[in-house]
Amino acid sequence: MSLPCGTRNYSYATDIAIIRTKTQWVMFIAFLLLIFSFPFYFPRFWLDVMNLIGITIIAIIGLNILVGYCGQLSIGHAGFMAVGAYTTAILTANFQIPFLLALLLSGIAAGLIGLLFGVPSMRVKGFYLAITTIAAQFIIIWIINHWTDVTKGSMGLGVDAASIGPLSFDSEASQYFLIISITALCVLFATNLARSRAGRAFIAVRDNDLAAEVMGINVFSYKLLAFFLGCFFAGIAGSLFAQWRGHITPEDFTFQQSILYIGILIIGGLGTSIGPIIGVVFIRLLEQFVTLLAPLVERSFPDIPSGFATGLSPMVFGLVMVVFLVLEPRGLAHRWNLFKASYRMWPFSY
Amino acid sequence: MEQLIQYTITGLAVGMIYALIALGFALIWKSSRVANLALGQLVLISSWFTYGMLVQARFPIWLGIILTVIFAIFLGWAIERFTLRPLIGQPALSLIAVTLGLGYFLEGIVVVAWPISVAKLPQIFPNEPVYIGSAVISQEYLWAAGISLALFVLLSLFFKYHKMGIAMRATADDQLAVQACAVPINRIFSLSWIFACIVAAIGGVLISSIGGITNALIETGFKSFSVVILGGMDSFLGCMVAGPLIGLLENVGAGYLTAIIGPGIKDLIPFVIIILVMLIKPYGLFGEERIERI
Repeated sequence: MSLPCGTRNYSYATDIAIIRTKTQWVMFIAFLLLIFSFPFYFPRFWLDVMNLIGITIIAIIGLNILVGYCGQLSIGHAGFMAVGAYTTAILTANFQIPFLLALLLSGIAAGLIGLLFGVPSMRVKGFYLAITTIAAQFIIIWIINHWTDVTKGSMGLGVDAASIGPLSFDSEASQYFLIISITALCVLFATNLARSRAGRAFIAVRDNDLAAEVMGINVFSYKLLAFFLGCFFAGIAGSLFAQWRGHITPEDFTFQQSILYIGILIIGGLGTSIGPIIGVVFIRLLEQFVTLLAPLVERSFPDIPSGFATGLSPMVFGLVMVVFLVLEPRGLAHRWNLFKASYRMWPFSY
Repeated sequence: MEQLIQYTITGLAVGMIYALIALGFALIWKSSRVANLALGQLVLISSWFTYGMLVQARFPIWLGIILTVIFAIFLGWAIERFTLRPLIGQPALSLIAVTLGLGYFLEGIVVVAWPISVAKLPQIFPNEPVYIGSAVISQEYLWAAGISLALFVLLSLFFKYHKMGIAMRATADDQLAVQACAVPINRIFSLSWIFACIVAAIGGVLISSIGGITNALIETGFKSFSVVILGGMDSFLGCMVAGPLIGLLENVGAGYLTAIIGPGIKDLIPFVIIILVMLIKPYGLFGEERIERI
């Protein structure tokens, strides 16, 4: 049911195309126009939220390659983001490297650090690997906190807004165009990666690594590739985050963030290309809703405990994560596919 | 030399507490192959509950402790019943992620219920220090070490000889075969979570009576993962050996490396040990290596 009724494959080129029908092209172009015209009718506050959504989508796409496709659980993603963010901050401030190059180098730096912590995946998997990545998170943040000559520790570093040639992205709207363009490129890359030889190898490793090895897949090198790519995206996201936020501290990349990312991926749907996007949008909007809701509740019920506003968001988020795992482990992406199928079939049931 | 003795004794005593928390982890892993990453949060919430009973409600200490244990029993039962049981048979990734979500949820509850974030428990153990040779150690550490040793012996005997303990080990080995022998595995999972929460609650009371209640308890939970990893996940003996070892390395290492590397090295050591163990001997000192088939 992945194709609309009556769509036929007459050549290999049409078979592998992502957008198949004229209606899909029209909707795709309309969607792009809608996305790129947001700054003209949304206030600054919501642009801010959408920039954060874009950055988070890039990070989650990386996590999706690592966890969703390759099945290697990483609970240190915020740490790898921090590597990217600090690389950009240091390169642009101390060495005057142009932003695009710094962006690429941040991705590569985070990828290499990811490779380093991915090496134990040669011998262990599952919980053991999860613990290794937790250790990675704490070690990276510890180093950032204590290598004060370079990172200024908990004081944090200031980062200039990005500029490419004469273009300077110093307003929220221009940031939006930069972030959303890079996000679109990353989504395109990840979607195609999943359909390539490497993507199929990742899925084989995830489903049964022993069987994959027997089939002739070099499990260890594909696991390392997944670590590199996953952390590369984290580095890109971190780099964008640094220049968007303007100032970064280790507090921006906590262990809680790492758990949040895993949760977003699960809620969106592991191992799908649409899952990360839906998950990020859902969770970031939920966050906004909770921040708006908490003061209202506090005003209407004055005798609830004073920690309510700060405690509400981890509580709601933890609950949503558990509920999704128990009731819909395939995430919102699966619901979206069910909706599409029933919409195509309507009014017939199958 | 005197310094070394002091570091050693403090390290061993702190390590015994890590070992105690790690026991709670090994207990669940041994019976259901679920990795409980919400360990630190369980310790935190039961410490806060003790605080609520002893300080806010002003119950006497013995009543407060009993109520904490009852709370832990309820918590363990509820966690197993509502989050883990629906996930029986799901991939390891879901099982790990669900405990992460659970930890997040518990953290939120703690912030809502006890927004003060730092507190001190009333004196439970006498606070006169004990002198061992030239080193000084506060009595609380010795109590903690003694209680964790006693729990270790109890749990080991339980798993070795009691019918339920044997059933728990069998469940970890092969759930289908155990079900075919008419062992109620639901009750086994439930029981193992209840035990683990009780151990976490006792650990929580011991630690917070020494160092007060702060969010650092969550990090203590993570540090005891290094104990589990070093000792081998399914071995109580591994916990009891690796706990003091980690405590020792942490304190001695911190004592001598701070001058070279800088302050705060103490918090890094357990995590570096995790990485090293993963690279050299991933199944730990006493862990059982699992051989897989397709």
